[in-house]
Amino acid sequence: MPSWPDFQPFIVSGLALGGVYALSGVGMVVLYQATGVVYLAFGAVGAMGALIAWSLINAGAPGWAGWLVCVVFSALVTLGYGMLFGPLLAKRDPLVKAAATLGLLLVLFGVMDLLWTTSGGESRAITLPTDNSGFGVAQVQVNWTQVIGLGLGIAIAVVTAVFLRYTKLGTAMRAMANDREITATLGVPVRRVEAAAWLGCGVLAGVAGILLADMVALDATTLTFLVIYTLAAALIARLRSIAFTFVAAIVIGLVQNLLTPISSVGNYNDMTPFVLAAVALLAFSRRSVVSRSREEA
Amino acid sequence: MAGTAVADASTRQRSPRRGRPATPTVTRAVVIAALFLFVLLALPQLMTLYYVDTMTQVAVYAMVALGLGVLVGRVGLVSLGQVAVLAIGAWVAARLLFATSQPFPLVLLEAGLITMAAGTLLGLPALRLRGLYLALITLMFAGAIAIVLDTTNFPNGGHGFLGYNGSLVHIPPIRRPGIAASDPAYFRYSVVVAALLFLLAFVHIRTRPGRAWAAIRQSEPAAMAAGINTTFYKLWAFALASFITGVAGGVYAGAVHYLYSLDFPAQDSIILFAVVLMGGAYSLWGAIVAALLLEFLPALLQNWGVSADWLTILFGIGVVLTLTTAPAGMADQVPKDLARLGRLLRRLATSGGGAR
Repeated sequence: MPSWPDFQPFIVSGLALGGVYALSGVGMVVLYQATGVVYLAFGAVGAMGALIAWSLINAGAPGWAGWLVCVVFSALVTLGYGMLFGPLLAKRDPLVKAAATLGLLLVLFGVMDLLWTTSGGESRAITLPTDNSGFGVAQVQVNWTQVIGLGLGIAIAVVTAVFLRYTKLGTAMRAMANDREITATLGVPVRRVEAAAWLGCGVLAGVAGILLADMVALDATTLTFLVIYTLAAALIARLRSIAFTFVAAIVIGLVQNLLTPISSVGNYNDMTPFVLAAVALLAFSRRSVVSRSREEA
Repeated sequence: MAGTAVADASTRQRSPRRGRPATPTVTRAVVIAALFLFVLLALPQLMTLYYVDTMTQVAVYAMVALGLGVLVGRVGLVSLGQVAVLAIGAWVAARLLFATSQPFPLVLLEAGLITMAAGTLLGLPALRLRGLYLALITLMFAGAIAIVLDTTNFPNGGHGFLGYNGSLVHIPPIRRPGIAASDPAYFRYSVVVAALLFLLAFVHIRTRPGRAWAAIRQSEPAAMAAGINTTFYKLWAFALASFITGVAGGVYAGAVHYLYSLDFPAQDSIILFAVVLMGGAYSLWGAIVAALLLEFLPALLQNWGVSADWLTILFGIGVVLTLTTAPAGMADQVPKDLARLGRLLRRLATSGGGAR
């Protein structure tokens, strides 16, 4: 069993990663509340944005331009998908809407493997200037990227909670989560509110893509399926509460990282999101849940 | 005037013509039997070894698609982790084949039963989850199993529970049944196994479980009100799907001789779901179409030097289009479209005759 000083760096990395999962989770939850879509392509779109940024930076563009392109790309793809297929699937079951985003995931996945193959054994990396500078806290080194990760997570969670509660657009989103039809009858421009939700989620996907590409790995498969961590956090919060999403994300990040130095656990620490989400879901659904009558298969 | 002519013509065509012995069911059975015999006997002769191996994979994944089709099409439960179940089946079969000298069919049966037990155990708590949550949990399960397999690896003749010896220099291949050692013979063997499993699923669908599943898919509250034990029948669907996929895993192990965790990546579960949706989750033919999309098309493309990524992109587009336009998939839509075309042609032909 490793000693306390061995765990300390993993607390830092756990908090940083948890922060990024939190900002991703908040994006996912808000989008689900406003549109009923669980955006499973969240990771894939961020991954492709990060790869585009990598290509640009490799070709000589300044760092900030690459990251900006990443965020803009993610936002545009997400908005485009939402505007194109959102209305078409608006009346369908949430399961169908989520399954449709899997289609987007596959398209992005295929494009990424086509344009940025890994068959040559090459590995790519993105570094942010904040990686190299940091400070010490109680015998642990903390770099600024990690601070940004956790800081952005907290900031996005707080800002989104305030936004949903106190602004007109936020209230409209909450109304649509309740009942889209009645909200439309009240004169709320539902398409525009949905567009705002899709756009916001896309921006967060881009930001998360860059941060995760820096903190974890710049690899299409890894980044695409990191969405599972975000998903776990969102599911533990029942896709409803911003606060719970934030807490769940931090916990998942911490647990997964803190298990790393324990050699008996080994690589199984990557199963953290699955185990935590499964336990939470089963604990919360103690009452028998009967699915509603299906209008179409 | 032309309208009544059309009406008369269609009535004439609808009434049974004299001297026509075969009913649709018998015709269909004959066609299926003929197709089966052709695939079994003639197909291996017509293809190179490369395509024989490919068609063996098609047989394997037809079984996996069948399992998923039962879950999605018959009961309405979406699983995004069926490739993980296939991996479990392959693992169990490999372990048994290395550790014992039991006959191959027995190992297949055992792999199926053990996978069935695992699938039912996992399905028990998951049944309380609503459709979306179940799908998402199975997605995470697929990711989790991929991680576990990366660490435990597949049995390769070593000892201990995991049967994996990391330091083995010469890894023994997974054995095949004595009668089906060669690739074309093993292809025939896998087709027979697949046919038996399709028959098993068919029998299920036509008898009480199938009716219960249809009721549950239509409306679970109504099914419960009608006295159907929905939990039992949902578990049965999980059990059947897991059994079929477990046996498929055993066939897969014998087909490839060597198993690697790279064979079962998490994205394959998603692609499998995509092609089952496109092929048609609601008919048994859909499973075969799905398997052809999943295994035959990539092999074809690889032969022509085109990257399989184009197919991933195509499947992504396909699943979105299928969900928005043809929820029952190609196996359902294409016959419908062809029938519509046929009606249109008939109407044109008879209206032309009536006008004259």
